[in-house]
Parts: sequence; structure tokens; C-alpha cells
Amino acid sequence: MSQLLQIENFTLGFPGRPPLLDSVSLHVNDGEAVALVGESGSGKSLTTRAALGLFPGGSQSSGIVSVQGLDTLTASKQRLMELRRRRASMIFQDPRAGINPVRTVGDFLTETLVRLDGLSRAEATERAVTQLDQVGLRHAKELMDQHPHQLSGGMLQRVMIAAALLNSPDLLLCDEPTTALDVTTQAGIVRLLREEQQSRGMGMLFITHDLNLAASLCERVYVLRRGEVVEQGQTQTVFLTPQQDYTRQLVEATPVIEVGGLATPVVAGSPLLKVSGLSKTYQLPRGEIITALDDAGFALPEGGSLGIVGESGSGKSTLARLVVALETATSGELTLRDVRRPRRPLKASERKVLAKDVQIVFQDPYLSLDPRIPVGNAVADVFRLHQKQGRKEAKDSARVLLGRVGIGAERFDARPRALSGGQRQRVALAKALAARPRLLVLDEATSALDVSVQAQVLELVEELRDQLGLTILFVTHDLAVVSRLCSELLVMHEGRIVEQGPTARILEDPGDDYTRNLIASRPRPLWDAEPVTA
Amino acid sequence: MTATDYAQAPTPGVSARKREKRRAVRPAVYIVKKLLALLLTLFVASLAVFFSRFLVPGDPARFLLRGRSPKPEALEEITRQFGLDQPAWEQYLNWLSGILRGDWGRSLTYRQDVSDVLLGRLPTTLQLVALAAVFITVLGLFAGIVASLNKGFGDRFILITLTAAGAVPPFVAAIALVALFSVGLGWFPSFGSGDGGWDRIWHLTLPALALGITYIAMVARVTRSSMNEQLLREHVEVATSRGLARGSVVARHVLRNALGPILTVSGVLVAGLLVSSAIIERTFGLSGIGQLLVQSIDRLDFGVVQAIVMVVVAAFVLVNTVVDLVQPLIDPRIAAGTESR
Repeated sequence: MSQLLQIENFTLGFPGRPPLLDSVSLHVNDGEAVALVGESGSGKSLTTRAALGLFPGGSQSSGIVSVQGLDTLTASKQRLMELRRRRASMIFQDPRAGINPVRTVGDFLTETLVRLDGLSRAEATERAVTQLDQVGLRHAKELMDQHPHQLSGGMLQRVMIAAALLNSPDLLLCDEPTTALDVTTQAGIVRLLREEQQSRGMGMLFITHDLNLAASLCERVYVLRRGEVVEQGQTQTVFLTPQQDYTRQLVEATPVIEVGGLATPVVAGSPLLKVSGLSKTYQLPRGEIITALDDAGFALPEGGSLGIVGESGSGKSTLARLVVALETATSGELTLRDVRRPRRPLKASERKVLAKDVQIVFQDPYLSLDPRIPVGNAVADVFRLHQKQGRKEAKDSARVLLGRVGIGAERFDARPRALSGGQRQRVALAKALAARPRLLVLDEATSALDVSVQAQVLELVEELRDQLGLTILFVTHDLAVVSRLCSELLVMHEGRIVEQGPTARILEDPGDDYTRNLIASRPRPLWDAEPVTA
Repeated sequence: MTATDYAQAPTPGVSARKREKRRAVRPAVYIVKKLLALLLTLFVASLAVFFSRFLVPGDPARFLLRGRSPKPEALEEITRQFGLDQPAWEQYLNWLSGILRGDWGRSLTYRQDVSDVLLGRLPTTLQLVALAAVFITVLGLFAGIVASLNKGFGDRFILITLTAAGAVPPFVAAIALVALFSVGLGWFPSFGSGDGGWDRIWHLTLPALALGITYIAMVARVTRSSMNEQLLREHVEVATSRGLARGSVVARHVLRNALGPILTVSGVLVAGLLVSSAIIERTFGLSGIGQLLVQSIDRLDFGVVQAIVMVVVAAFVLVNTVVDLVQPLIDPRIAAGTESR
């Protein structure tokens, strides 16, 4: 078996700074699927792009990155373009950003055929349509004339894959190709990639931060940390008996559905939040009516924890925003602590009262903190507003609370930009807790974080829930995260609640087809899965 | 289960046909809306243009008599002749209905129809502006593209040059150009608008450059920043990763996507171009509407002033409407209302 991609002692960095990649060595054989696993900033994207000769401007590199004997570090521009055209293709993370939005899908697919292979427009179109068919897109002919914004994310990623396969590459590089997609869509894409890789005998380098995903697709794995390969080997060996501490942490931090360790649902107590017949519709400028939420009803007792699971567009975020009064319901009742929510936007004074009871933490801590306000002040301001504390007292309270969520006093005057993603999310959490709410709404609060950081934040939420008796409403797309944190579960699909009940019961014995599909879509390791029948 | 089950595609049949219909109707509605907005803007502009005359001190009839103390009857006679004795709104209606019939009224100073006065001057100005627009497009785009693609020294050099050029007032540029190219090198004439054809273009080259220099700087800056923004986009990296040559990537994915902002800014610049042409026309001794505007304001020749301002406003609104109508063709997301740049 010959080596398709061979990277030896590859070091890359900017002059005067520590290297981003430090002596990375890895190889991919013909027809082999290899995973490159690492958290954000580990250098996995840089490594993969190097295989195509795409280096960041102004960087310095050394070592060997060779594809079928062509060293991309030293190859001429012409040879590099030849490599990209014939031998290696790359699938990128976000197809919506990766396909030019102002050109048609057909133009995207055929441009290399027409410009580089000298095919006529008709021949190129025919080949592109065949390829679209093959990746499982129906009505391929009509798709050719559409623009990217008219297609769903899953469809676009199939278009991207079709484009990558058009020139029958020997090496397929995948840079987190399913991260921007829903779980059920991801399952389809992963199956497609596996099928294509097997039937064409392509070598594949698959980058991901998700260990489960790597295990479901690849025989061999490299674990990358801060630009260094810390562990490598057969996927099964690495995951089941990791040798390095870092790998062990990573495996442990990866959420899995555990039904055993769940807290029993809280039955006693009056409902803190009661929702019935809640609907929200939007009218588009063209007159179409979108139903974001349709007839939702549930009750959340004091001290309970409810997980809301669904894919993008399922209405789960709308529900969360209705609870914190960022949106106004079109119809239905929402009662919080026996106070009925009026069906109009709240006045500032009402909002302030409500904010004492309900707080929300958003998905992206990079966007939800004001970049100009030092984090200590941000938290102290909440104390001053809601607890009527004086300037000095508020600062002391903020210091204590930040300490409790794991932000030391030395970070008190830091601006958000100086903090890592996990630290920022802790600050966002502290800000929410400073109001001493009874109900904490977490809207995908851990989705933007690395697995190890996500594990820490989840632990913190768990701890705070138990200590403060917080009631928690956790909105997420990840069943595993919910199974860890929430005793009650609510599954949403296309604006409707399709199933609700105790988490353990739903996960063990799902009553709805969609829930079953959702559970089945979670990536399963190759060694567990039934043999692939193509 | 095959992968096909997971991929949705537009459902054929009834709904598809409905969608077809809606797709055909939507652009028509869009165009009609834009045209209605155009008419409304012109109407409001006509109100502003006409009634602003009453804010200016001085009686046009008196000016006609060049300071002689007239007999009251003579004054009244002239006032009536030009319809200045009627109530303001009636004057406005007369004026407006006249415009719609192609009659812009009579010039007080030239004793001619305003349209005749205007038509004699308009071609020169339009040619001047058109030539300047060509320079602005070619040089502005070129400088912007070169700056954006050559990071480091090239970029900085062009940027500094542009900043300097953008700060030069047109009349200074005009004098400098004349000094260099007419007096110094003798390549171009410094005066007059020449006879038709190439001679005209030869005569208008220096004026057009002087007129366009500020705008070249602006267009180049917009081009540069708009392209820089696109260069960082992932779809550009994808195009590169597929083995497309640098030129194709830049033309098809960078410049093509950067056109939107460039076009928008260019549309706004048109008004400024028409107005600054007054200074240039004076410097180079061209008889265009810019110079006419200045003279007419001096002489309180309201008919001509109003007509010129209306022409400038109409040109401005028209160009921007065209820009608005072209935008959806450049970026299909605008037509769908889901545009998010």
C-alpha cells in the first residue's frame, strides 16, 4: 500500500511567535479513512490545508507535506494547481459560507469543468447533474439553476461533496463537514461520505472535534493538541484504552447518553412555569405566515430541570425567548410564579421585575458580552441593578460569584476579549446568576464550546442547580447533554412538541418516530455498528 | 435506507407551479415599486425646487430692468408677462404642467425658451460627465483592485496616493493638470470644448480628469475595502482549493461579489459629479450647464435655475433607481429578501 499523504515533521508558525504546528507527522494510505481530532486552536485545519498548499499569508514552515510524492512546501504554483485539480479535494465546514452566494449551484459545480477541463457547458452540466444524483439530491436539473440561499444546509453540503468528487480525487480532505448541520442531516452526510470513500477507494483525512463522529467514520485517528500530535493509532484502541492524559480527558468529556445517572423528576411543588397552547407566528413581508411555535404546553415545577431538544427551525429557541419575554406570543398562556404574562411587549419596569426571576444564557459568549466592559463590572452592574447594592458591595459580591464559577480575582478587570470561550461563558453564567433568578434558561449555552470546556460548564451548572435549587430550562440540539442535566425532556420538531416526559423514559423507549430518528442519528463507532450495507 | 431519503428537494407538481408564478410576479412588483418611488421623489423634489425660489430675496422682474427705476406700469407689464403676479401654487401648477408638456418656461436673461438654453449646453456637460465616469470606473477600479491584491508596499503606496488625490479640490487639480499637460508637455488643449468626435474627447480629457480625481479616489477606496472583505470569505478559499487560477478566482468570486457596494457608492457620487462640473467648466472655458447654473443664480434667472436643478435631481434619482434595479441581478439574495452580508 502506498502512502497517499505523508506529513513529516511539519512545523508552521509566524516569525517571532511560538509555532502553531510543531513537528506534526502523519500519513494516510490509499483507500484509508483517517481522523484528525482536536479542539479549537489545535491546528487541525492548518494541517489539512497544508496538504493542498494553502498556507496562511506570512507564515513560515518547514518539514515535508507530500501528496503522492509532491511536496506542497516546495512545489511550483503550477504543480500545486495541478494537485488541487486532479488529485486532492477538500470539503469545508460551512457550505453556506463556502459556496459563492451570488452564483448558481450549477455555476459552482461546472466552473472547474468548463475552465480547467475544457468541457462544453452542456457536457459539464450533464456531468454535474449525474454527480448531484449520485450524492442523493433529487431534481438535480432544477437545482443547477438555483442559488445557494434557496437550499437547506444539508443539501448545500451535498452540493459541496458533489463538487469535491467531480474530479475523482485520490485524496479527500474533510474539514468538519457536518459541524454546521443538524444531527439527522449529519447522519446522512456521514453515511454518504463513508459510501463514497469505500466505493471509490479514496484516501480520506477527516477533521473533527467530535470523537464519536471520528469513531463512526475512520479506522485510524490522530489526536492533535496545540499543534502537536499527542496520540495516534487504531480508532478503537485510542478511544477504549487511551494512553495519554489528554486523550483520556477528551474521551471522558465527550458527552454520551447515560440514562442511569439521572436525577428523578421533581414531582412535588407547584409549577414555577406553566405554558399552555402557546403559539408564535411571524408574517413575512411577502404575506407568507411562518409558524415558529405551535400549541406548546408543559409545566416546569420549582427546582425541576427540563431539556428542550430539537433541530434548527424546530422552535426551541422561540420557546426559550418567549419564556424570557424577548418575544411576545401570538396566542396561548404563559404563567410564571402564578403571574400571567400579558400578550404585549413588556414595559421596562415589568421587564426588570421579570428579570429577577428569569435569566437567560445565550449560545455564543463571544457575542453576548459587551467587549468594552470589564467582566467584573459587568457582573457587579447586575448586583447593583437587581440587589440594590452599593458600588463597593456590588464589586465584592461580583468577586465572590466569579470565584464561584471559576474566574479568579485576577481576571476581574479583564475585558471579554482577554478570556477564552469557556471563561466567557462562565462570566455570562455569573451575570445571569447575579440576579438570583429562580429560573435559568440556557439557550444552546454549551454548543459553541469545545468538549472539554463544555464538560466543565455543564458540571458547573449541575453544581449550581443542586446548591441554589435553581430551576433549569435547557435548550439544545444535543441529546447527550440533556441526558446528563435534565430529568424531564421535551422533543420539538417543526414548531410542535412531538414528545415529552421523563428523560430516561424517552431515551430508552421513544414513542415518536422523530425522536427515534434523532436518537438513531447519533454517530456510532464503527466497531459497534452493523456492517455497512451499501 | 438510501441517502436519498434524507435530501429534500423542491416538491414537484402544484406547489412548484405556484412557486414559478410567484417568482415571475415578484420582480415585476419590485420594479413597479421602485418606479413609483422614483416618481414620488421627483414630485417632492419639484416642490422643493420651485418653492425655494420664494425664500431667495430679490424680485426677478426688477433685476430684468438692470437697476433702472421703472415706471410702475412697465414693472407690472413684465410681472404679468412672466406670470409672476399669480398665486404661488398656481405658478407651480403652470410650471409643472409646462414641464410635462416639454415647456420649461422662458429665461429672463436670454429671452429664449429655457429648454433651448439648456439643450445648447447640456451635451457638453453630459459628455464631460460621461468621460469623467469612464475615467472614474477604469482608474478607480484598477487602483482599488491593484491595492487590494498587493498587500504591503503596493497597497500602502496606492492608499497614500489616493488619500492625497481625494483631498485635492477640483480647481486645484485642474490648474495642476493644465500646467503639466498643456503648458508643460503640450499634449492636451487647455481651453474650449472642440468640434465633435475625437477632437471633443481630446479637449475634454483634462477637464474630465480634473473633475474625476476625487471620485477616482473614492471608488478606489470602496473597491479596495469591498474586495478585501470578500478576499477573506471562505468561498474564495474553496475556489482556490479547487485549483482555479488566481485570475479566475479574483474575477469570478472576489470582484463579482464586491460589485454591490461599489455600485451603490457610484450611484451616490453622480450628483456630486454634476454639481462640481460647474467649477471645471469655468476653469476650462466650457459652456455647459454647470457654468450656466452659476450665472443664472447670479442673475436671478429662476426659470433656468429651476430647470437645471430639476435635471440634476432627475439624473441623480434615475441613476440610483437603476442601481437599485440592478442590485438584485448582482446579488440574488436581495431579491429573496434574505440578504445578509
